[in-house]
Amino acid sequence: MTSSAPAIQIENLSYSYGSAEAVNGLTLTVQPGRCYALFGRNGAGKTTTMKCLLNLLRPQRGHVRVFGLDPSKQEVGVKRLLSYVPDQVAFYPWMNVRETLDYLASFRERWNRKTEHQLLERFQLDPAQRTGSLSKGQRTQVALIAAICPETDLLVLDEPTSGLDPIVRREFIETVIGAYQDGNLGNRTIFVSTHLITEFEGLIDEFTIIDRGRVVATLDSDHARHRYQKIRARFAQAPPELDFGAALRVRREGRELELIVNGTGPELLERLREHNPEALTTEALTLEEIFVATLKS
Amino acid sequence: MTERQVILQINFKSGMPIYLQVVDQVKAAAASGALRPGEMLPSIRPLAEELRVNRNTIAKAYSELESLGVIETLPGRGCFLKENHSGLRKEVRRKLLIAEIDQVIVQAHHLQVARDEFLELLHERMDVLDVKRRASKDHKKEG
Repeated sequence: MTSSAPAIQIENLSYSYGSAEAVNGLTLTVQPGRCYALFGRNGAGKTTTMKCLLNLLRPQRGHVRVFGLDPSKQEVGVKRLLSYVPDQVAFYPWMNVRETLDYLASFRERWNRKTEHQLLERFQLDPAQRTGSLSKGQRTQVALIAAICPETDLLVLDEPTSGLDPIVRREFIETVIGAYQDGNLGNRTIFVSTHLITEFEGLIDEFTIIDRGRVVATLDSDHARHRYQKIRARFAQAPPELDFGAALRVRREGRELELIVNGTGPELLERLREHNPEALTTEALTLEEIFVATLKS
Repeated sequence: MTERQVILQINFKSGMPIYLQVVDQVKAAAASGALRPGEMLPSIRPLAEELRVNRNTIAKAYSELESLGVIETLPGRGCFLKENHSGLRKEVRRKLLIAEIDQVIVQAHHLQVARDEFLELLHERMDVLDVKRRASKDHKKEG
C-alpha cells in the first residue's frame, strides 16, 4: 500500500448474473478524505459494485483496488482498512448486543471502547438485549457502532438508511459526521451508495450517478449545484419560441416557462431578458433533482 | 468567554458552495453584531452535526475566515471573532467592495430599479443593519 494510492479505484468493472448485466464498464476514483456517493435507482448496480470492493464478488472484467490493494488477493489487508454497513444487517440472533460487539471486535486490531460506550448511550441500546429481537433501525445502529469503533480509514455504506424511520436516519448521518469523522480529519474516507439523496446532501463531496450498470455522470457536489439550474420566466404574453436545445428540460405552461439547464444558465438568462419577462428567477438544483434530471434526459 | 450560538442556514438551492455560505453568514453575523469580537464560534464537530454537512466543509470555511482575518484560532481553545477584521490595505478593500457593488448595480439594472431608488434602498438597508447592531449592543449592556 502506498500512501498516495486512492482510497478506492474502480476501473472498467463489469459483472453479470447469468445474462443479466449488473455492472458494465464502471470506472471511478475516490481520493482519501473524501465523502463519495454512488447514486442509482434500485438495480442500477450499486450493491454489486460494493460487493466487489469487499471481495464478496469477483470482478468478471476490470479491477478494483482499495488503497492500492486487490480485495480478491489481499482480502485480509483490505478488510483491515475498511468497515462496512450493509443494507440488510444480519447478526447471530442468539447473541445479545454486548456479545455481538465483542465478537466483531475480536476480528479487529483496534476498537475504541469509549466511542462504543458513547454510541450505545446515544442510541439507547440495551447491551443485554438479543440481536434477534432488535428492530431494523436498532440492528443498523449496532452495525454502525461496529463500523465506527475499529477506526478504519474507509467506511463503506450500502443503502444504510433505506427502510429506517426519519429520526434513526437523521441520527445515523449525524453519527457518521460526528463520530466517524472525529479522529484523523482529512483521512477518513466515506463511500456511500444510496437513493435517499437529500439526507446525505451536505455530506457528499463528489458523486457518480449510475444507471443500468453504467456511469451517467461523475460530479463534484458544489460544482454540480452551480451548473445545474432551474430557470423560471413569466411573460406578459405567451413565452417566446426560442431554441432551447441546450436545456435538459423545457416546460411551457400558459405565460410561464421553466427550464432545467446544465452550465448554460447565464447565456439562456441573457436571451430570456431580451424578451422582457415580467419575472425571471433561477435556483440551483439539489443533488436529488440533478439525479432525476440526469436520468430523465 | 461564552460560545455564542450563531444560527447558520445552509441553502442547497442557492448554487453557492456550502463552505462559502458558512463564510458569508459568519461575516454577516459579525457585521450585524450577532457575533461580537472575542466571542467564540461553534466548534467544528457540533456545527457540522447540526447542519449535517461534511466536517471538512466547516474546517474549510473556518480556515477561509481565518485567512480573511475575520476569526482567529487559539490552539486548544477554539475559534474566536477577531477585533480588527481586515489586514488588507484600504485600496484592496475598496477594490474588493467595488467588484461586489458592480454586480449589484448590474442586477438593479435588470430589475429596472433606477439610480435614485437604488441609492435610497442602499441607505435603507444600511439603516437596518445599524439598528440591528445597536440592538445587539444594548442587549450586551443589559446583559
